[in-house]
Formats: sequence, structure tokens, C-alpha cells
Amino acid sequence: MLYGGIDVGSLTAQAVVLKDNAIYSFQSIRVKPNPVDSAATVLEGALKEKGLTLKDLCFCVSTGYGREQIQKEGLSRENMSEISCHGKGAWWVLPQVRTIIDIGGQDAKVIRVDKDGELVNFVMNDKCAAGTGRFLDVMSKTLGISVEELGPLSFKAQQVIEMSNRCSIFCETEVHHYLQRGASPADLAAGINRTMAGRVMALVRRVGPEKEITMTGGVAKNQSVRKELEKAMGTRMLTYHVDSQIIGALGAALIARQLRGVKQ
Amino acid sequence: MTITLGLDVGSLFTKAVLLDGSRILTTAIRETSGNFTREVEDLISRVLAAGGVSREDVAEIVSTGQGDELVEQAHFCEDDVACIAAATRHLLPDTELTIEIGGQSITGVLSNPQGEVVNFMRNDKCASGSGRFIEVISSALGINIDLLDETVEQASKKIAVSTQCAVFAESEIISHVNQGEAVPDILAGVCDSMARIVISQALRFGPVERYTVTGGVARLSSIVKILQERLHGQYRPFPIDPQFAAAYGAALLGQQE
Repeated sequence: MLYGGIDVGSLTAQAVVLKDNAIYSFQSIRVKPNPVDSAATVLEGALKEKGLTLKDLCFCVSTGYGREQIQKEGLSRENMSEISCHGKGAWWVLPQVRTIIDIGGQDAKVIRVDKDGELVNFVMNDKCAAGTGRFLDVMSKTLGISVEELGPLSFKAQQVIEMSNRCSIFCETEVHHYLQRGASPADLAAGINRTMAGRVMALVRRVGPEKEITMTGGVAKNQSVRKELEKAMGTRMLTYHVDSQIIGALGAALIARQLRGVKQ
Repeated sequence: MTITLGLDVGSLFTKAVLLDGSRILTTAIRETSGNFTREVEDLISRVLAAGGVSREDVAEIVSTGQGDELVEQAHFCEDDVACIAAATRHLLPDTELTIEIGGQSITGVLSNPQGEVVNFMRNDKCASGSGRFIEVISSALGINIDLLDETVEQASKKIAVSTQCAVFAESEIISHVNQGEAVPDILAGVCDSMARIVISQALRFGPVERYTVTGGVARLSSIVKILQERLHGQYRPFPIDPQFAAAYGAALLGQQE
């Protein structure tokens, strides 16, 4: 049996095809202006890789931006919140996980799940760019590097120059001032990652983390932010062997499998 | 008469006001770049030259604003809340609330009928509602801030901005541009959103009978107009260039020394 999951984010979109209880195929693309187009392209891409078409999926769930529209257009049969999907996806890769820190391009969520991967509680920030992937985007542009370089660069730091501001716009000015005074980009990168972790910690504290803890979303790939978060929480986070950006789409596919028993 | 000089080192602009008693002799302004001593020295020599005053004739140099303590030339520094209150007390004695919208902050100052500060609040944590917000958005739209008012006048509707965050708002308005919306309509929506943020701060003081608006943003009539429409209480236009309010207040406080 084949199940599909589509997750359209602010910057990237993912699709996962689940075969019974294994990831059969997946794809990730940069988003298009319209979430339905993103969903169609990424799902077709994931299906095509195995010579499949939409008809081969017995159930598909959409999540993320435009998830309802995507369902209306017939690309998915049902839509589900990102929170449930991330919870489910993370639980599938790590059954012992109870807290998931999901940092996407435009929001950050801390999700608590039970032993079955069902949602217990969550907190979310989608009002302010601080503590989301956008903060790192803005900061790396200011440093003149790609966002992927921000983690590796910070490991060359001699010292950590933390930001005194919270607002991404004000931090941009702050970084400019530091650079003008000759501060090293590596020291600033380390400070930016620590500042980022600090903002995320505010959410983590609100939800009250329970072990085991893991990270999902694009920012999970930044090893420096991970380390800073681990330091702040005083505990290691679990890692897994699946791309952290497909967890939402994976969760959607898992929910599709669950729902198939109910809806036909 | 006593001559005093007020200096307001803001996050975006540094302002100087040269005062003779309570009369303004001259003012000067320049962008704040970080080299306070040099910038302030430039402003001081400019106002002294324009005012025809020699440095020895200046009784007090008073600094205020974000970088007030870094101004070596100042005889003392004053908190900007005190300076704003002093300026309003002097120019608009019956006005209780002054909303100062600066480059990186909104400050509300509430005074009693005696002109004493009874309460104030400040948002300097977030760019939303500050001068930076409007600067970021207009630059993303390719509009010089000096042309903001006339651009907004051409609007036929307001395209709503759904977020308060300047970073998210920037992406949102770029997507509006990509969808073919007209720049004046987008900018009108931005001014509306900006005004809404300012209003929510002003309402924290409860109802007031009279209020005024100062700071660089007070010069933007497209924003002040919305404030006037929606804020209860009578709007009192600030009698001098509102961007110089804090520097003027600093110079006034120097007079009292």
C-alpha cells in the first residue's frame, strides 16, 4: 500500500511516499508562489522517481501552507495541521521522543507528544522572525554567506559575540556595526547561533520539555544552533537518519495511513 | 539670555538644537553612523556657525537619546523621556500624552497638568511601529521615505498587511508586488498597519484629552492622519519640527541649570 504526505513550507516543499511502513520515495523543492503548484510539483516528483502517478496512492494528506486548498484541488484527500504531522513524523523516526523542536523558515514550534506520537501540547511563534529560520537567513545575508555556512563558520570562532537585540532588523544593524569595527564573521556567526538558540529556548521553557528531545525542520541542520540548545537545556538531543526537513511530510503520510482505516 | 545646546543621539539620526532662552536659534541634523564624537562635533560647529554664536557663549551642552553618554562634548546628559516631556510642557502645556516615534522605538510619555511625567512606556525591542519599520518597507518598494506621503496620496485602496514583524511584512509586501498590486496601495496598507501598532501602544495609557506626536515619523502625514482618525482625544500638532523634540527638550533642561 502507498501513502502520500505533502508539506508546503515558507521556503521549501516536501513530499513523502510511504510504502507500508517504510519511506519509499521523497522529494524536496523550493516553493513556488502558489502552494498548490508547489504541492503538485513536489508530489509528482516523488511519485515519478518510482514510476508512479497520483492514482497509485491509496491516501494522501497535505499539511503546511495552503493545505486546505491542496485538498480542494484533489492532490490530497485530507489535510492536517503541521503540528500533528511533525509530532507523528518525529515519533516514527524516534519512538522514544516526547518533545520536538521544529524550526522552519517562518515559524518555530515546540511540540510535546505521548508514547503513540499523539499531540499533548505545543507552543508556537509565527509572529516574530526572531527565533525562526528567517532570523538566520537575514543574519547570514548580512554576513555575506549562505545560511548553510552559518553553522560550520561558527565553529571557527575565537569568541562568541551575542546580539543585544531581539528584533532581526535591529540585529542586522548590530552585525553591520560589529563588522565595521572589524569583528570576525566567525565570532558573529557563533553569536548569531547562540542568540537564535536563546529565542527558541523561550518557547522550550513555555512548553516544559520532556525527554527525549529532538529537532526537525531546516534549522535542525545547523549544528551550532543544536549545540547551543543542548547546552541551554543541559541535555543531548536525539538524531535520526532522515532529512530533518521531510519530517512534516513524513508525518502527513503516516497520518494518511492511519486515516485510510477510517475514511474510504 | 542664556544660550544652551541640546543634542539628541538617535539610532538613525543625531539632532542638535541651539536655544536662546526658549527661542530656537538654529537646528542641525545628520545620520548617526557610530562615530559619536566626530558627528557631534560636526553638528556643534554647524549650529554655532549658523547661529552666529561662539562656543564660549554656550552655557550648557546637554545630550540625550541612545548614545547620550558617549557624547564627550556634553556637560551632562538627560533621559529622553524627561527631554520629550520638557519640550511638550513648554510648547503644548495642556497636552498630556506625547507619542515619540523614533528610528528604533516608540515611547509614550504621560504628563500631569503640572507637566510632570506620571507614566511612560517604551517599545525598543521590536522594529514594528518604529521608523525602521517604515524605512525597511519603503526601501523594499523602492520609495524614498521623503516621497512616502505623496505616494500614499495616489492610493485607491489599502492592501492589508497581516503581520507586525518587519521581516515578515517585507516578504508579504514583496509578494503583493509580485501579484501586481500597485505600490501606492501597498504603501497605504503599510501606513495603516504602522498606525495600528502606534495606536495600540497609545491606548495603554487609557483615554487622554489631548496628545501630540513627535519623532521623525511624526513628519509623515499619511501615518499621523490615521492616528488622528482613530485615537480619541484632540490631536495637537507639535509646533516645531517634531524630529527635534528631544533635542529641544534637552536644550530647555539646560536652561534650567
